[in-house]
Amino acid sequence: MGFLEKQTDPMSPMHWRGDMQADYFYPSGVAGDRFFKHLKQNDSFLASTCKKCNKVYCPPRLYCEDCFEEIPDSNWKQVSASGTIKLFTLAKLNAHGENLESPKVVAMIEIDGTNSRILGLIKTNDFEKDFCGTKVKALLRPKDKREGTMKDILYWE
Amino acid sequence: MVEKKEYKEWPPYAPGTYVRESDIRDKNITYTWWEPEVQYSWSLGPAMSKFLKGLKAGKIFGIHCKRCKRIIVPPRMFCEYCYGPTEEWVELPDTGIIETFSISYLDPDARRIEEPILVGVVDLDGTPPHHGFMHYFGEMTKDEIKIGMKVKAVWKPENEREGSITDIKYFKPLKGGGE
Amino acid sequence: MKEVAVIGAGMTLFRRHLLETGKELSFLATKMAMEDVGLEKDDIDMVVMGSAPDAFDGIHMKGENLIDGSAAVGKPYVRVFNGGGTGVFAPIAGWWHVASGVADICLVVCEEKMGNCYPHPQTAFRHIWDPILDRPLTPNLVWLFAMEMNRYMTVHNIKKEDIALVSVKNKRNAVGHPCAQLADPNITVEDVLNSEIMAWPVNRLDVSPPSDGASALIFCNKDIVHKFTDDPIYVAGTGWSIDSTMWTNRDLYFPRYVAQAAKMAYKMAKIENPRKEIDFAEPYDPFSYKELHHLEGLLLCKKGEAPILTREGVTQRDGDLPVCPSGGLLGVGNPIAATMGQKVCELYWQLKGVAGKRQIPGDPRIGVAQAWGDIMQMGTVILLRRG
Repeated sequence: MGFLEKQTDPMSPMHWRGDMQADYFYPSGVAGDRFFKHLKQNDSFLASTCKKCNKVYCPPRLYCEDCFEEIPDSNWKQVSASGTIKLFTLAKLNAHGENLESPKVVAMIEIDGTNSRILGLIKTNDFEKDFCGTKVKALLRPKDKREGTMKDILYWE
Repeated sequence: MVEKKEYKEWPPYAPGTYVRESDIRDKNITYTWWEPEVQYSWSLGPAMSKFLKGLKAGKIFGIHCKRCKRIIVPPRMFCEYCYGPTEEWVELPDTGIIETFSISYLDPDARRIEEPILVGVVDLDGTPPHHGFMHYFGEMTKDEIKIGMKVKAVWKPENEREGSITDIKYFKPLKGGGE
Repeated sequence: MKEVAVIGAGMTLFRRHLLETGKELSFLATKMAMEDVGLEKDDIDMVVMGSAPDAFDGIHMKGENLIDGSAAVGKPYVRVFNGGGTGVFAPIAGWWHVASGVADICLVVCEEKMGNCYPHPQTAFRHIWDPILDRPLTPNLVWLFAMEMNRYMTVHNIKKEDIALVSVKNKRNAVGHPCAQLADPNITVEDVLNSEIMAWPVNRLDVSPPSDGASALIFCNKDIVHKFTDDPIYVAGTGWSIDSTMWTNRDLYFPRYVAQAAKMAYKMAKIENPRKEIDFAEPYDPFSYKELHHLEGLLLCKKGEAPILTREGVTQRDGDLPVCPSGGLLGVGNPIAATMGQKVCELYWQLKGVAGKRQIPGDPRIGVAQAWGDIMQMGTVILLRRG
């Protein structure tokens, strides 16, 4: 009777398996392109400063999201690829919920000389340590192997 | 407030940085690549489950909405026009007429093919006008296919049917019925 | 309900791939719209974002991702989306915000980055098909439009030459548009008919390209519009309607969902004879036959009459009912939601008389824009009028 039918067999309703097939290509953006091209050639980061509120963005932006003002080229500067850990966690499972071979320390690192934080993997064997406040430096890929993506930053230590 | 810009023509300029396919190929710009792995298991619901089981058995099922006085195929648990529950299951003949069609020179991955694929919508017999589903057409050429042509389903052999819309291979011209 | 005026508009370049991220594109379009009025971020009360599937940009929850480029940080914000209908639905949502009185100034931003879906947005589009009934047949999306075009042509006995005239008109019209992707001053009907057949009856030059782009509009309440302009452009009417997803259970030759949306908008605008009272139209034209299909849906002509109007030159920029003077999607590009730029922003620029090379002669006072979305389902309509 259609809608008013009773379902008495739990195996009766079926399922259809499938997947979503698509690959993605994300251009880095105008600001991001400059940042990554700089990182390919140098062992430092670029940052940009809003002329109104003086917030320093790293990775740099074309505009300040709070003031909604464009950041001119003259407000870009180099900063060192180092920072301080503000938050961290110890990850024991991968994205599919399976145990990792060895735990990973994932941290939010405030880049020196900026108001910005980025996510990074910490290279360590000490999984009991409290990393908050620890100063770290970025360990970058060898220059000839850099591709111009965040993976050029291998670890922080 | 900031300075208002008095341009004579709008849009006054076109901001944006054009990237050519060659810039991507030659890596003149930086980019990040990502291949997501997303798996799905869609619940078919009672109506679709019965429809697909029917296809496995070589039958096409429709469902009756008494208020709208229409037999709906593909079937569903409720009628979206009167928003009421649907009622009896009805077995439909596997014949119909071509509602619309296309002659495609692109395969499903948008690659060009020499021999076109004939695809379209079949308006099934036993249902109100314009009620049917999409499927392939076969045993006819691109010059023969016409809207209004009578067609009949060609089924896979019983042991190859899985409970899928592809249990019907295609619809062919109904012999003796003409056009 | 308060009366709502449009006070600013902006759009970016439209191309197959743009370097800017979605946020940067939103910023560029918003900045142009704000320059039109002289506004800063704090002057904007609320923000509406219109953007079609996350699957194109490849960022889940992209409405939230685009916030900082849309001047929305710290503000009431909502993202609306109904496929291709978003280009006109997002301005409708912006209109609600002001008409209801909850906002005095509302910014609407539309953004799309179709180029992120590699190698072609088809791979994301493919997932619009029903996973059980349609996807096992491995269809290509062009088949769907080809089937609708075939039905439309057969019911009204229309020749492909008449439909090709739409591509020719729009690609030539786009020559005056700085953002246009496919403007071509020399294109002819033969070029369109001889272009590669994708799925008969659709040829390559009958189809609009996928694009990256963004556009922005600023709405304000009638009570304060005098602060910004002496010659306001008001929203005269809005309408939207959707039909069943079961597209194989409908006769596709007439878009009844567009007619329902149009009736709603005309009633609001107190228009009784659309063909006489409306000066120009920007219907959604992702395919050349869609302009004709939608003109009939907008009740601007009788069923089957649109190709005749095109053939007679009525829909040219200097004709009696200019259609797609911007160049439409066929000429400027098709970044799904950001088509607000050449639909609604164009109505605004034409009514203000600042459309430059694209300006319609005479003194247009009312224009209608329409968008179409999902799987032949959604119709969204907006009317703007001067004064």
